[in-house]
Amino acid sequence: MSSRRSRQTSGSSNISDDQIKDLVSKLQQLLPEIRHTRTDKVSSAKVLQETCNYIRSLHREVDDLSERLSELLATTDTAQAALIRNLLLQ
Amino acid sequence: MSSLQPNVDSTNSEAMQRSNPKKRRKIGHSNSLSLVPWRSETQQRIYSSKLAEALRHVIHRNPPSPPAKSSAGREVRETADRVLASTAKGRTRWSRAILASPLNRWKLRRMHKKVHKASTGLPKKSPETRRRLPVVQKKARVLGRLVPGCRKLTFPNLLEEATDYISALEMQVRAMTALTELLTGGGSLASA
Repeated sequence: MSSRRSRQTSGSSNISDDQIKDLVSKLQQLLPEIRHTRTDKVSSAKVLQETCNYIRSLHREVDDLSERLSELLATTDTAQAALIRNLLLQ
Repeated sequence: MSSLQPNVDSTNSEAMQRSNPKKRRKIGHSNSLSLVPWRSETQQRIYSSKLAEALRHVIHRNPPSPPAKSSAGREVRETADRVLASTAKGRTRWSRAILASPLNRWKLRRMHKKVHKASTGLPKKSPETRRRLPVVQKKARVLGRLVPGCRKLTFPNLLEEATDYISALEMQVRAMTALTELLTGGGSLASA
């Protein structure tokens, strides 16, 4: 990777490319899809794209879960008792 | 596997929860912040109990007759996000943004949901050596819109926030799933 050393580009950005690459690889480790491929072959644009997709899908999951939770909370009035009981049992 | 520090700084948790503007992050782009370890069981338990507490308040606000509107889900979502942000102890920008203005977030999310640019077709020269290329920049902008409160961040800060945000979201999903299962299991128990 010696060809991709930290070339300070055009003065205005004091951020080294190595730092960015480090962050991108860290991000990549979190993504479930790209984790299995080798890190060399994934470009940062793809990582960013996958990140966006992943965050969107996580948002959707949270939305679905909160819909279900709201239904559950609404229907059962004894939900609170169940909650307390279960949390104590944990 | 995760390179985030497993240190939970619980000393100034109260101060941080007020989204204290004085306690900024160190200038100097330190890569390793003492972030919340979103993967640990303890964190999840903390979040779950806080969430249960908050949801109980929500139930009390809407009296026993169920709201039966589409807004109920949104309330739960907002509560969950707020509790998530407070668990973050105010160290990250997205958590501060969530705590600061929950209304803005929803409106902006609704408006920007349609702007999905599938930007491909631009040939990528060596991606990271030059300035952040337009492709990467566009993606970064999209990412900045997704993570709350990160529209004007520089690229590396944005990436940092995104990593933390993803871990936090994952934990949120895990905790809410567990809570849902508890409720579905506990509901039948209570009625018996």
